[in-house]
Amino acid sequence: MNVTINREENRFNVVLQGRLDTTNADQFQKDIQPLMEGDQPEITLDCTDMEYTSSQGLRMFLMLQKSVNARGGRMTMTGMKPQVKEVFDITGFSNIIRII
Amino acid sequence: MSHMEEDSLEKYGLDMHCTMILEEYRANRQSFVRIMELAIQCLKDALRQNGMFVTAVEGRVKEEKSLAGKLELKGYKYRCLSDITDIVGTRVITFYTDDVDKLAAIAENCFDIDWENSVDKRKMHDLDSFGYMSLHYICRIPKSMYYDPQHPEINEFRWELQLRTTLQHMWANMNHDCGYKGDVEIPVEHLRNMNRLAGVLELADDEFSRIRTQVNKYRRMVQNLVADGNFDEVALDVDTFRSYLNLKPFDKLAKRIAAINQAEIHMDSLMPYLRMFKFLGFKTLGDIERLKKESSDDAFLLATLEIGGTDLDIISSTVSVQDLCIVHILKKGDGKEGLKAFFDELNGPSAYNETRAERLVEKTARLPFMNK
Repeated sequence: MNVTINREENRFNVVLQGRLDTTNADQFQKDIQPLMEGDQPEITLDCTDMEYTSSQGLRMFLMLQKSVNARGGRMTMTGMKPQVKEVFDITGFSNIIRII
Repeated sequence: MSHMEEDSLEKYGLDMHCTMILEEYRANRQSFVRIMELAIQCLKDALRQNGMFVTAVEGRVKEEKSLAGKLELKGYKYRCLSDITDIVGTRVITFYTDDVDKLAAIAENCFDIDWENSVDKRKMHDLDSFGYMSLHYICRIPKSMYYDPQHPEINEFRWELQLRTTLQHMWANMNHDCGYKGDVEIPVEHLRNMNRLAGVLELADDEFSRIRTQVNKYRRMVQNLVADGNFDEVALDVDTFRSYLNLKPFDKLAKRIAAINQAEIHMDSLMPYLRMFKFLGFKTLGDIERLKKESSDDAFLLATLEIGGTDLDIISSTVSVQDLCIVHILKKGDGKEGLKAFFDELNGPSAYNETRAERLVEKTARLPFMNK
């Protein structure tokens, strides 16, 4: 999973590429560390090139979402492929994470 | 006292007795400020502990000029500074008349009350008179709350606490503004009109309290109906749905679904589904109970179909209600359009919703509940 973070003040545009699963979840957690700091962050996760997420990936997104909410910010996931979106739908995560 | 201060006291033109009282005031001004701070903090803490919301908690220490004016008019009444009880004035302005009485009880617990000099102006009106309504307590800071051996006067000086409603406060301010301005005597007709208004506001205050009592009574009744399981008698709204969720009505289904993959359940608020149940035309909690009774097994089948073939081991608790709603729409025969409209309402319009609706219709075509 490649993570590219572009930052402009409190706005983060994060491009996710590849698969997110147990083998790279720890590295992903390190990669998104810059997103876990600062007030009222506006985070957009561009998932256009994300191929897959496992349960571990869902946990990471949930952790990030909670951190963002606690800091009065907003997180949005965009451009999901249908097979990735389906994971969020069938687990109920699309009810709690903003996906457009 | 400095020469400058002596000069400034002389500027009020008071007699020796009143000047001495004013001197005493200057020497104790910091203690008065401390009394005010202690009183306000104590009132705010008590309000928070009792879960009471009020319009304002305020206080002031009388300005020197204002005290000089008072002494000029009636300084002969006071032997010393401690005879004057309104140098520190605090006030709590409540929403409801009942809250004035609740606050009075709180104040009685918090402060030492000088009962001889405290007045309930609400009870002082004749049957046919209306006007200033407020409860005035003359208080002292008890040693149990605060004691500084260097400043025993903090427990000795008396101060005033006014308790009144927002409408009583409004009337008192308007009356003061209209009635006590300068040297012109206000015609009786205008004073009478002001008192008529006091009567109207008194009625409004009572009405607000009555409405609050009725709403609280209704809330309690609904909570009892929900607790007793009389769901058909309970209309669906924010309060009733919240009470219903306290019974954890969807936990059993969520646990069944989680068991499919031995998944962890992430507990999320189900309150957004109030809007969705209303969207689906549900009117009472009984409608939701029937859906649960009639469709839980089918929602479980749907969840099995969806996550059974995956290794996903975390679900949101919302998935149970989501799947119940999906099953409801499909059983009703609303198909793809119904599902798309539901997802548009739930998560906002998106191109995904149509795809998701299509996929669900296709996937569920062979499930037993679709072929009944």
